[in-house]
Amino acid sequence: MIRILVCQKWVAPEGDSRGASHSPADRAALELALHIRDRAEDQTEVIVVSLGGPGALHGLRDSLARGADRALWISGPTDLRSDAVAAAIHSAVSTHLVEIGVPDWVICGDYSADRGSGSVPAFLAAFWDAEQALGLVQVTEHSASSLGAVRRLDGGRRELLSVSSPAVLSVEGSVATLRRATLARELAAATMEISEATAPLGPRETPVEVTAYRPRARMLAAPAGQTALERVRSITDTATAAAHGETVALTPDEAAERILTALRDWGYL
Amino acid sequence: MTQDNLRWPEISFEDRIGTARFDVGERAHITVDSRICADCSTRECVVACPAKLFVPTADGGILFNYEQCFECGTCYMVCNREGAIAWTYPDGGHGVVFSQT
Amino acid sequence: MPDSPMPDNPMPDNPMPETPFFEVVVVGAGPAGSCAATVLARRGVSVLLIERGPFPGSKNMYGGVVYPRILDSLHPEWWEEMPIQRWVTRRSTMVLTENQAVTIDFRSQNWGVPPYNGATAYRPDMDHWLASKAEAAGARLLTSTTVTGLITDARGQVCGVRTDRPDGDVACRMVIACDGVNSFVAKEAGLYPDLNPANFTLGVKETLGLSRSVIEERFAVRDREGVDIEILGGTQGVNGGGFIYTNLDTLAVGVVLKLPALAAQKTRPEEIIAHLKSHPGIAPLVEGGEILEYSAHLIPEAGRSMMPQLTGEGLLVAGDAAAMCLAAGIWLEGVNFAMASGMAAAETAAEAITAGDVSKRGLAGYEKRLNSSFVLADHDKLSRIPGLVLSDRVQHQYPQMIANVVERVFRVDNPQPKPGLRKIFAEERKRAGVRLRDLARDGWTGMRGFG
Repeated sequence: MIRILVCQKWVAPEGDSRGASHSPADRAALELALHIRDRAEDQTEVIVVSLGGPGALHGLRDSLARGADRALWISGPTDLRSDAVAAAIHSAVSTHLVEIGVPDWVICGDYSADRGSGSVPAFLAAFWDAEQALGLVQVTEHSASSLGAVRRLDGGRRELLSVSSPAVLSVEGSVATLRRATLARELAAATMEISEATAPLGPRETPVEVTAYRPRARMLAAPAGQTALERVRSITDTATAAAHGETVALTPDEAAERILTALRDWGYL
Repeated sequence: MTQDNLRWPEISFEDRIGTARFDVGERAHITVDSRICADCSTRECVVACPAKLFVPTADGGILFNYEQCFECGTCYMVCNREGAIAWTYPDGGHGVVFSQT
Repeated sequence: MPDSPMPDNPMPDNPMPETPFFEVVVVGAGPAGSCAATVLARRGVSVLLIERGPFPGSKNMYGGVVYPRILDSLHPEWWEEMPIQRWVTRRSTMVLTENQAVTIDFRSQNWGVPPYNGATAYRPDMDHWLASKAEAAGARLLTSTTVTGLITDARGQVCGVRTDRPDGDVACRMVIACDGVNSFVAKEAGLYPDLNPANFTLGVKETLGLSRSVIEERFAVRDREGVDIEILGGTQGVNGGGFIYTNLDTLAVGVVLKLPALAAQKTRPEEIIAHLKSHPGIAPLVEGGEILEYSAHLIPEAGRSMMPQLTGEGLLVAGDAAAMCLAAGIWLEGVNFAMASGMAAAETAAEAITAGDVSKRGLAGYEKRLNSSFVLADHDKLSRIPGLVLSDRVQHQYPQMIANVVERVFRVDNPQPKPGLRKIFAEERKRAGVRLRDLARDGWTGMRGFG
């Protein structure tokens, strides 16, 4: 039995439950799981899990209607810190081991509809001590225990990954278009059973005040140059822009220090 | 323009239509046969569509968008060219979502 | 497949054993559909209420005032629960010219206490609530599902609907079409003989955000009291009218435009609203209001004369789908007709299913019910009024004539002595180019129509 756990967050805009939805990424996560299941040779089960208030039940029913096999609801607030969300999911699944078993794959959207930090999948991988492949834009060939994926990197580059289970994946919304529920299944989902789990709930996210970024002022020498164009070029660094690119091979600690130094030099810190 | 218009300038049409929410479906729920429109000189749809979805082009055709549609039906009602506008509802769950009207 | 109660009645079993079955499918969860589903569910009839929007009310827009007394029987003390904005305690009718306004204003505090009269409400709120009542009564609500066609049996009787979901067919004994002004169900069933654009108006509206206190100050109301202003003229020569309604912290400002007249000129709908908002009599009421939502919808405006056949084989039509909208100048109603016709359709359907005959003959009780209620009685009585209100004379000549008469009555022309009313009227009638014969005829139509 192969088990695919799909983590989704049902988000209501400004508290209006009528507009609640999963993010496109969460929808793609479900579709990927259903797709893997439908093509698997071994018996495969898709379990959707959601943490939130009773509204999350609507989201879980929606996913059941579209083809998920089971649903697990963890009752809790929707603003837990990402590590607390992951801990709660891990704990809830662990206490429902008999029903659910150890997931072979955990698939998440890479962001929820309320745009969190997107770090829940990484925490989930840590709790399960599983491989992680995050921010996927494409999932290519797959079998029950391994799959190929394409990950987005900075600068328009892509990274090809080969991932083996157990692993945590997070996908962008473009990975798959979620199927619609058949009419019969949509009707049936209204009365399908949803397991309710309790889990110790960690700290909530502390709201961060977000203000527009303002770099600190820097003293610059008066620009040199004969013409206005040259002077503008010298201030804006257009002549030397190419020199900013730098490739270094460093240990993580050294790399972090190098980044901080550069940010300080450029006036961002 | 009256004084009042100057004091409270109307918002752009893009901002106006942006006040309504649209969950755009993949299938175009309205299709326009531009060959028929090319012969049409009256262009009722251009002035009547409250969402301004029909825009005349320089070459005498009609440019059409289905995305920000109120699904009201005005276009096919006012069009007097048989077969120019094929109108259906969007796929279930898609299209305009009103909230304060 | 969910469990669908199979009633013990003489009708054949589900003709399509593989498809979900309900005794009645109601197409459209607006006021007509939700009231129909509520009545059916309470009578123990299995009913599926299909809505194409993500939630009931999401596709629905109207001017802004509802008269819910018809709900007294269905949801007693509805006013305790219904999500309304304000109770209308003040009604004004305005006649506008470019720089004049004649207003008749009425206020009654009786309308601010139960059982109330009219209320402003947002349709996405109200329709959502009405549908939740249907669900609470036992109806199954299926949202995000567009009905794409009817399924008929060998005798041509409706026995199901097709939807755009995968495996989307639903079998049923009969269908109640409450699918709104564009009713594709009624059209597919051949119940609309012809579609004349002149029978329709386009309603276009802005929801303007203003603070509660500003609204209450400008419109002279307190607490949950609200105002309903209907406007004749002010639509830049396009036959129609305007309106302003007060919500709690927004105003609904809009125009209703006769389709052929709108299509025949060059001013776009939002420009006509902008012009109305800039009228010296309107601007001080709406100024500073931020457009929170712009919306539009068609209105079946022509009343009785445009109604389709209301009954088909295994099919009933209610609400806007049946053009049950009353646009009679001083009365602008629709939601109440929708709710009442939906309830009447459901009662007829429940009886017909019990009797085992949902043919057109078996459903004949629907029209009888409507005839004996206000639904068709009001429409029959006022059948000439919509045409009169949208006629060129009422639209383009009378407003100027009325405003000029009033202006001269109140103008102090010293040292000229005051002219007699009869003289003012005769002069202004001539100046407006109104022939006495036409005026008399319109007056007679109005007297008979409203009488």
